[in-house]
Amino acid sequence: MEESPSKEQTPDLKSMLKKLSAGASYRRMLAAREQGKPICVASAAVPVEVLYAMDVYPVFPESLAAIAAGIRKAEEFFEAAREKGFSNSVCSYTRCGLGIAWTQKSAFGPIPEPDLFITDVSVCCLHVTWWAYLEDHFKKPTFYMDMPATDDPWDPDYVAYYEEQIRAMVRFIEENTSSRLSMEKLKEAVRNSDLAGLYWKKILELRQDRPSPVSFRSLAGEILPLVTALGDKDCADFYWALYESYKQQASQGYCPAQGGERFRLIWNGIPIWHHLQVITYFEEKGANFVWEPYTALSWGNKTPSGRLDAENPFHTLAEKYTNVLTNMPLERRFGYFDQAIRDYKVDGLVMFSNRSCRPQSIGQDEVVEMVRDAHGLPVLIFEGDQADAEGFSMQEAKTRIDGFLEVLEGRKRS
Amino acid sequence: MQKQTRSEVLERFRQGFLGRHQSCAEWKNKGRGVIGCFYGLVPREVIHAAGLLPVQLTEERDGRLEEKAGLLPFLCGMSKNITGQIYEGRYDYLDGILVGAVCDTNRHVLDIWAHRKVVPYLRLLRTPSTANPAAWSFYAADLRRLAEELGRMGGQRVTEQRLWESIGLYNENRSLMEKFRHSRQALGISAEDALYVFASSLVMPVEEHNSLLRSLLEGPAQAPGSASGTPGVLVSAMNLNMALDLIRLVEEYGGQVVADDLSHSARYGLSKIALEGEPFLALAKGYLRRVPTPGIYSFQERAEDLAEQMRLSGARGLIYLVQLYCDAFAMEYAILKERFDLWGIPHMRLEAEDNPASLQQLNVRVQSFLESLV
Repeated sequence: MEESPSKEQTPDLKSMLKKLSAGASYRRMLAAREQGKPICVASAAVPVEVLYAMDVYPVFPESLAAIAAGIRKAEEFFEAAREKGFSNSVCSYTRCGLGIAWTQKSAFGPIPEPDLFITDVSVCCLHVTWWAYLEDHFKKPTFYMDMPATDDPWDPDYVAYYEEQIRAMVRFIEENTSSRLSMEKLKEAVRNSDLAGLYWKKILELRQDRPSPVSFRSLAGEILPLVTALGDKDCADFYWALYESYKQQASQGYCPAQGGERFRLIWNGIPIWHHLQVITYFEEKGANFVWEPYTALSWGNKTPSGRLDAENPFHTLAEKYTNVLTNMPLERRFGYFDQAIRDYKVDGLVMFSNRSCRPQSIGQDEVVEMVRDAHGLPVLIFEGDQADAEGFSMQEAKTRIDGFLEVLEGRKRS
Repeated sequence: MQKQTRSEVLERFRQGFLGRHQSCAEWKNKGRGVIGCFYGLVPREVIHAAGLLPVQLTEERDGRLEEKAGLLPFLCGMSKNITGQIYEGRYDYLDGILVGAVCDTNRHVLDIWAHRKVVPYLRLLRTPSTANPAAWSFYAADLRRLAEELGRMGGQRVTEQRLWESIGLYNENRSLMEKFRHSRQALGISAEDALYVFASSLVMPVEEHNSLLRSLLEGPAQAPGSASGTPGVLVSAMNLNMALDLIRLVEEYGGQVVADDLSHSARYGLSKIALEGEPFLALAKGYLRRVPTPGIYSFQERAEDLAEQMRLSGARGLIYLVQLYCDAFAMEYAILKERFDLWGIPHMRLEAEDNPASLQQLNVRVQSFLESLV
């Protein structure tokens, strides 16, 4: 399979960044509306390649919620949720996402009225209730990409069921819009997605270098097109350019950890979007994150081969999207940590116990137990929320990080 | 039926629930298997047809249990409580547990139970969230596999005939429960007694529960015990202990719980399985999107059902009790609220934990709500 998006020179990273930034995505959405393309409120893990191939413009409430939290503009959406009777114990993405839907505003400006709602229920059960609310409240055609709870996502019957769900999603879009699927366009979208995933994987592999040239804080922003823009050639070009940039940095010995990379860490969980400076603080203290399940296992080409087969687009997408980490037994999840600790020469773990994300947080203590038994590594556990800053104290976080780093330092000396 | 006899029957329901661990252990000692069901999306008919006793895992009022579970603080008390009971050995008689995912917590607590190997057989049902031919077929196939596994465990093969018989028994139970729901006030049965009638259905052999229900319903009607001017309310709750606390709190402040919407019972009692076609497919059609679980059941039907219950029972207000950190029910409330507001139904949400002090702290709100209904 071809391993570069084109025979041309590596695209300029800065210009690619401009094309794929969150603000640019917003402007493209407005342009899509101008052109009469359907706009769909889609959940994370909807096969976005299909939407791209069908000229349906997706809006991702979770991404918008993360961005709003990142620039501290989420509070008005949380307030809107409170006024509607939503308890604070409900997932902050959901509350913020619904706030965005009610107000039809985003961090970048007003959001056009959507035409469709599609969710993928693999990520969490709340996706069902959330989209059921959207359907009920806004009275728009809604499709549920059904993925029943399982602890064996590799079962061929299960993958086949999901493959049929993708086909059903295509029928749903065709029945409710003027969009029609072109198989050639879908294959092209899958090829582009494959290349984006391939370069993403290569970027992550660079982190095995010592020092790792990649900052988790940067990756947390750079992952956005992998969630929202798969299928687009620009997306593949972006990750190609990004890989080349990181490769160059690696050859120059660049390291985001200040004063050199003293500690190599794993971060488990979604980034704390409202306080990404937590990651920066680690880097300021010489600690560098080198592996995260969020970046390594949640996005990209998650098929058994690590590549997407553009000639069998429905099947390959089914294999990719059914491969959900939280649908795997804890021993299997530990297996990924075990391998990463060896491959990436890890010194310690930071586990984010995220109030909003039950699927990611439940079982975390057991994984920690297995890691401690197998590797004896120090573990720092944070409790907080991915998007809602209420109750979070940066000062308290710094104190805990300092203590953790002292433990790591002590182990280095001994 | 004499009044005393009715009291005796009600006492059997109460003891059926409160003495569930002992009854199940006795059942087990007779060489028969017991399967735990984690929430209402587990089709008990299949378990029954395999000669096994289905028992809903329910919360138990004991403050030590949550701590014993060692689960994350922001998870719902019900999952922690049940996990604590399992770790403490209160469910040692179980041969297995089936989990039907209704929320992320109940689905993923299974991962921890599996890791800790708490029971010999632990299975997650693959329950689609949609209801269409593909989903029914997928779910029916999973139920067939389940039947084979349970048949081997129970020593009784699940034949079509056996499964139809089990479906018939549970359908009868649903009909009787529905009848009870509508005639509870006429029979002069208190809200607290009614709670045990529902709760016992979750843990008792269905044949015994049907027999007791028939006895209860055969008795003469009595004048409703509601004093005129006493505000009647409908209580909607998931957690049985908390529902009991709320019933007592309402009564303490001069109100009366004239109808309840205990989610276990509502899930259980509302929809019968159609006796047609192939039994596994019939179960799939009867369960998928037919069990009132937040998000996978029509909000309109759910709100209409609650409004209808209020109309039939004469309830003037609705109290919706959410267990802290139960995001599914917290979301359902926010959605139903829009309809309650639109229809002019007085309603109040309470969010509390499963301990008497937690709800007691909300007594002023309950009192004020009741006063607003007079």
